[in-house]
Amino acid sequence: MATKFSWDILWCLFMKGSLIWKAQRYSSLIIFTYFLYVAYFIFSSDIISFDNWSNFALSAQLKIATSLVFILILLHSFIGLWTVGTDYLTTRTLGFLNESLAKRAKFLRNLYYFLFVSMGLLYLVVILYTIWL
Amino acid sequence: MSSNTLEVSMYRYNPEQDKFPYMKKYSIEKPARDIMVLDLLHLLKESDDSISYRRSCREGVCGSDGMNINGKNGLACITPISSVIKKDKIELRPLPGLPVIRDLVVDMTQFYAQYEKIKPFLQNDTTAPEQERLQSPEDRAKLDGLYECILCACCSTSCPSFWWNPDKFVGPAALLQAYRFLADTRDLETQNRLEELSDPFSVYRCHGIMNCVSACPKSLNPNKAIGEIKSMLLSNKKQVITSDGVR
Repeated sequence: MATKFSWDILWCLFMKGSLIWKAQRYSSLIIFTYFLYVAYFIFSSDIISFDNWSNFALSAQLKIATSLVFILILLHSFIGLWTVGTDYLTTRTLGFLNESLAKRAKFLRNLYYFLFVSMGLLYLVVILYTIWL
Repeated sequence: MSSNTLEVSMYRYNPEQDKFPYMKKYSIEKPARDIMVLDLLHLLKESDDSISYRRSCREGVCGSDGMNINGKNGLACITPISSVIKKDKIELRPLPGLPVIRDLVVDMTQFYAQYEKIKPFLQNDTTAPEQERLQSPEDRAKLDGLYECILCACCSTSCPSFWWNPDKFVGPAALLQAYRFLADTRDLETQNRLEELSDPFSVYRCHGIMNCVSACPKSLNPNKAIGEIKSMLLSNKKQVITSDGVR
């Protein structure tokens, strides 16, 4: 059941540790800034009506910022989930639970990557569709 | 159990006899004075000579008797039982995450493989001076807190990142030594050393939980050294090193 190919190899070939580190830190800072900005709008408005919220949310700047932030959330979570997969879905770690699971570690890890990448792309399509269409 | 008795629960495993490891309980009379865990092991071995553990210098220099004592890694020879005893009980296990050869003796091949990977020796291909390569006192001071490591593996085997990826994550002990040579002004291979550590696993799998600092019996700070390596990797400076060691 074990597959020869693993996305880990591709990831390690093209990614440097410092690049991943920067991507995760900078994306979190940008996401945090975005939510601060939205919170500032909410708490600085006397009354939040449908009109002023739509004007704010449907402005081109905020649409671009929201799209960017949700792409960054996706990137940030991909890195986190990849780290979890390479820590806990390995022959070694699954071996603590069950021998047959350990033998299928690479397959399970690839399946896990496939699932979270698919879910992430679906999430991205839904978010971009909601924002722009 | 009377308060004069000490209960020692020890991990036992002899692959020639046992299918699975198990914990064996020993009750011994409390020593009249505070003794080290290694001395306690000697006392136990007098009654059960099948107990296996490593030891050599018995003074915290050789790093042979690293083990997990009541849940925390440490050197048995410099750990007084009074500092670890809980409700008259002591639990002794082998260093976590490494294959067990027998009882408290672990196979450290993987640990040494990571140490070998960082090339733990001075690399300088310039002509050696007649006596020695000199350093300023300031440059020499940069090595304090780094060179003292005795490779007992207490830090690396307390690190979950090393447990999960011992073949990819270099581990705190070897990274401390990696920084010992990165910080050495006499070493000229800084750029290559950094390049070899630049993948997503070797250094960056450290998430700074500081178990290594807590476990180190020599009070060293591998986490700080790892932070320095990360800073060097992040700054990505192409360092120019000349024969006189100027960076």
